Amino acid sequence: MTRPASGTTLQKLLSRFHFGITLFAVALSGLTILLAGITAMRGYADRNIELAAQLGAYGVEPALVFNDASAAREGLAPLVRIRGIAKLRVLDDRGQPLTEWISPSEDPAPLLTRAFFPKPYVVTIRRNGSAIGTIQVWGDSSTLIDYVRIGLLAGLACLIVTALGTIVMARRFEYELVKPLGEIATVAHDVRLHRRFDKRVQPLGIAELDRLGGDINALLDELQGWQGTMESERALLAHRASHDALTTLPNRAAFDEQLAQRIAAAERSGSRLALLFIDADNFKAANDRFGHAAGDAVLVALSSRIRETLRERDFAARIGGDEFVVLVDPVDLAVEPQTIADHLRTAVSQPVTLPGGELYRPTASVGVAVFPDQAGDAAALLTAADAAMYADKLSNRTRS
Amino acid sequence: MGVAKRVLASLFLIGAIYSTPQMAVQTASQTIVEEGADGMTRAVNRIIGGIITYARWPGSAPASRTLCVVGTPRLTDRIAPALPGNSAAITVRRMSAAAATGGDECDILFLGRMAAADRQRLIGWVRGRAVLTISDDDPGCLYGAMFCLATKPAGLSFSVNLDAIGRGPLRIDPRVLKIGQADGGVP
Repeated sequence: MTRPASGTTLQKLLSRFHFGITLFAVALSGLTILLAGITAMRGYADRNIELAAQLGAYGVEPALVFNDASAAREGLAPLVRIRGIAKLRVLDDRGQPLTEWISPSEDPAPLLTRAFFPKPYVVTIRRNGSAIGTIQVWGDSSTLIDYVRIGLLAGLACLIVTALGTIVMARRFEYELVKPLGEIATVAHDVRLHRRFDKRVQPLGIAELDRLGGDINALLDELQGWQGTMESERALLAHRASHDALTTLPNRAAFDEQLAQRIAAAERSGSRLALLFIDADNFKAANDRFGHAAGDAVLVALSSRIRETLRERDFAARIGGDEFVVLVDPVDLAVEPQTIADHLRTAVSQPVTLPGGELYRPTASVGVAVFPDQAGDAAALLTAADAAMYADKLSNRTRS
Repeated sequence: MGVAKRVLASLFLIGAIYSTPQMAVQTASQTIVEEGADGMTRAVNRIIGGIITYARWPGSAPASRTLCVVGTPRLTDRIAPALPGNSAAITVRRMSAAAATGGDECDILFLGRMAAADRQRLIGWVRGRAVLTISDDDPGCLYGAMFCLATKPAGLSFSVNLDAIGRGPLRIDPRVLKIGQADGGVP
């Protein structure tokens, strides 16, 4: 497949094509008119010479009868004023020239004369039925040359008009065709470069281009749909990756990230934050006793209660089977961290109605550690909170 | 004879080429006379024949016309007009002035040398009649003949008396009148 050079625009291509077609049409019609005109002019010129010859025949007839050369010259006198006659000759009945006249004006185009008047027009002069002589008339191009000149000039003018017309038409084409195409290209470009899937091709008023635009719009609709699906799916995946499916609380990975960010922020601002480690007591035993469904129900209840105790900026996560963490951020200097732990422990130990209808009272051990009071980094804070939780569990066991 | 013809022809050709712009004021109108014994006779008969063919008699054209020769022709004694084509035949008869005016058979009157009284009578008789008069004894064309033949150095010429033609019912082709007039024969 041949493609136009990359430097060619549609407009240039169209204008070149247009110029070619128009030029061809003008040249064809111009040539036809010129040829038809020349043929007609030639007819007139022939008729002119024929009439001149007849007039000359009438004028020189008595001169031939009397064999009078000067009378023959006088007989030719009206002819010498007619344009387009190069030469006249009168011959008597024996073919001897009686008189001859050659035009003093020069032939403007000998080539044209040779083409159109190669032979003289000959009229036989008769008197009472017998030939008494002949008159020969040679034409020249002076009657044709004006027409040919005007024809060529008109041809040139037509050529200029053609060129101008082509420029105007090319501009019009640019407006009518190239501009809508440009709009389509702009939309496609915008979509590709800026992911503007909401962009649409406007109606362009040209059936074929509108069809193209419609197809592009349909394609964009599909792309937009795919894009939306992909984005929601990605969000879902991201949520799944960072959240626990059962309790919908953030998971261990999300917590680690959150902890690192918040410690960095607290370090910068010099504020305090508390990490609470929560572990359900005797969860394994409850699970064994009431079944997994009951265990899950307990976990969901725990997580919802933990969530209910949080303030807006606080953060809760499930980081293990029955282990939860809460970040209280920031913690006022006036608040005793242990108070928060007690509050949580109380909230968690409300009775839970299991799927089997039994009432179960869960208990939890809560450990608390404060940054930067008890630990300088995330790992140390987690370890401190973990240790505090174990201490609490031990004291719970001794309590119970 | 042939050589002379060619020489004359080429002379006229050269003359025509050189005199082209002044053609209209060229006055010498004369028939080329070939050399030799018959040259003048042929020239005279050619002119007479030509004049006859350009003359139109009133009424229908008869099969033949009668040319009456009166007096002694000066240019040639063998008057026999040469008419081009299928013109009416010409019968040439010699007769006296009295015989010519007595009958009514002459269509053309050729006036040769004769007594002035005879000429006057003939011219008077012709007035109003459809008779063509040609003279070869009146170079100035002053005595009333319609056409007068005269020799010129280069040949034979004729002049026209328009008054004489105007008086008669004959119609003469204006082209012939023009040729005859170019000579300035009629004052």
